[in-house]
Amino acid sequence: MIGNDVVDLDLAKVQSNWRRKGYLDKIFSPAEQTLIATASCADEMVWILWSMKEAAYKIDNRITSIRNFAPASLVCSLALSNNEMNGSVSIQDRVYFTKTSVLPNYVHTIAAPVFDQLSKISIKIYSQPNHPIDYKSMAAGCVSHHGQYLALVY
Amino acid sequence: MSNEEIIHKLKPIITTYAPASAALENLNEESDFIKDLNINSANLVDIILDVEEAFGITIDNTSMEKMLTVKASIEVIKEKLSEK
Repeated sequence: MIGNDVVDLDLAKVQSNWRRKGYLDKIFSPAEQTLIATASCADEMVWILWSMKEAAYKIDNRITSIRNFAPASLVCSLALSNNEMNGSVSIQDRVYFTKTSVLPNYVHTIAAPVFDQLSKISIKIYSQPNHPIDYKSMAAGCVSHHGQYLALVY
Repeated sequence: MSNEEIIHKLKPIITTYAPASAALENLNEESDFIKDLNINSANLVDIILDVEEAFGITIDNTSMEKMLTVKASIEVIKEKLSEK
């Protein structure tokens, strides 16, 4: 089982004001907030961590059948190297491994319950207006859509 | 506060973050923020913060977990109002 999440950074800028009082406390642990506060680009770090949580949740939700909104209980850890970031997200005693790509206009995370699975995931990202109309029939392992971008993983 | 009064107060908050749709016009207790109203999950946090302000309550993370539908939100709001 695999997960993925794409964040359109241009849309996120206008859609979400994460600097709003109380916002970060509802989503991020103190350690994650430190990562954001000390990042060279705070905006980017907010959406990197958010996409990790979303990608992991999409697997966890299918495994456990638990549907909830508890972003602060998903705990991210992250190792940075160049433009690619390997990390993991823990949800209680369950761990999902993640790999995040940061591009000028979007952030994309893939997630898997087994680390070795990450390198086997193939990723297709489409931007408007080039979305395949029939993507629902393309049997992706996970679909993510935000703003200009549609991300399918297999 | 009755469920109707709470929904009346919730509707403008939800409308700020939901794209226009028939589901939004027919907002009711069964409406699901993500599945029916197509609200972006990052904006759920804004809804929770707006609800805290509008109702003068504090919503802890355990209560927030459940707030994926109007019905669940009403329950949390009622519970928090009664604790005031």
